[in-house]
Amino acid sequence: MSFNARITMPAEARAGEIVEIRVLTRHPMDRGGQSDGKGGTVPRKILNRLTVTYAGEPIFRFDMHTGVSANPFVSFTTRAVATGDLLFEWREDGGATFTRTARLTVT
Amino acid sequence: MGRKPPFTTTRVSSRTQRSGDPGSSPEPFLAGVPAWIPGLPAVARDDARVDDTSKSVGLGGCFSALRTTLRLVPVVAIVGLAGPATAQLRSGTEFLSPEMQRQQADETRNPAFFWVEQGRELFSRKPGANGQACVSCHAEPQQSLRGAATRYPQVDAASGKLLNLEGRIEQCRVERQGQPAFGYETPELLSLTAYAASLSRGLPLDVRTDGAAKPFYEAGRAMFERRQGQLNLSCAQCHDGLVGQKLRGDTISYGVGTAFPAYRLEWNDVGSLHRRLRACSLGVRATQFDYGAPEYLALELFLAARGRGLPIEAPGIRR
Repeated sequence: MSFNARITMPAEARAGEIVEIRVLTRHPMDRGGQSDGKGGTVPRKILNRLTVTYAGEPIFRFDMHTGVSANPFVSFTTRAVATGDLLFEWREDGGATFTRTARLTVT
Repeated sequence: MGRKPPFTTTRVSSRTQRSGDPGSSPEPFLAGVPAWIPGLPAVARDDARVDDTSKSVGLGGCFSALRTTLRLVPVVAIVGLAGPATAQLRSGTEFLSPEMQRQQADETRNPAFFWVEQGRELFSRKPGANGQACVSCHAEPQQSLRGAATRYPQVDAASGKLLNLEGRIEQCRVERQGQPAFGYETPELLSLTAYAASLSRGLPLDVRTDGAAKPFYEAGRAMFERRQGQLNLSCAQCHDGLVGQKLRGDTISYGVGTAFPAYRLEWNDVGSLHRRLRACSLGVRATQFDYGAPEYLALELFLAARGRGLPIEAPGIRR
């Protein structure tokens, strides 16, 4: 289990309300460069980007580099406009992607 | 019983201790003063004979431990702790910044809860085709295992060995589930330990130190009070005598392990108490024992008994 995510946000909000979204991610964020014991080096393997879309619109992007700690935590806000899914997508070095969704109901 | 203890004991002031030079000569006007005279601002410092590690186990060890205890009593009174030291110990959490305390308490921000989550999954997953999941015996773990972690380390009645929570989980896995052991410090064992410990969150430590556990407890106490390593420091010198002062960038705490397995920022990972103890051993340039070594198990028991009554905080966050 090298990847997992915990997304915390309100399930409901009034239209126009500012909602806080917290994202805690489990990932070793291995910056690489260590000896692999066979004369080479371990390649970098971090989550390099988190993008969040809300009802199809991109609302947040977080580019991560080797200075970001393991198991990164990030929180941001957005304005509740319409009922819809927030789609979280992480991109890992090597091309793998991980996604999570969370639904925001606007009343 | 061993030799009679020397009557006089050299003492150094806390200022000398703090300078990080435990080998410096004691201040002359304090030399030779019996240690049990209260009112001296000092940490008990023993002479070379008590540092002899070969005496630390068995009767001689018990005896020297007893002597050291007697000597510690006035010291404890001086730093303002009424009664036995165990009653007033404070959790390592209180030495963290308010921000980190909030992070530890908040499940949405404490990364160690990923390990708890993984442990919960492993707990109910069958290990093999015909194996039994943990939950098939420990049904309703929220109730049946609530408080279990407060009683570890404990002596296993069948084998007479001292087992901590990790040891008990491994024993269950090998003997009851018929599976290969995970191995100390593997993510699986850490997850299951973190999960089992998290079921006792908030409950006070309550280990047994009498009966079969007594020799282990005494060995743990001897280890806590024995000077070791190139720096010639005992655990007690810092974690009893210099609590609240700075060591490098951090504040010295009482060294109770109620938050372990804990997420340590230095590790970027969850680790066991034994991993932390190994770091301490390295810090004083002493021998690092293996994970699950009897020396660390005994010390773990002593630490748990010393912190009796403190609530379990696993999985915690530590620097």
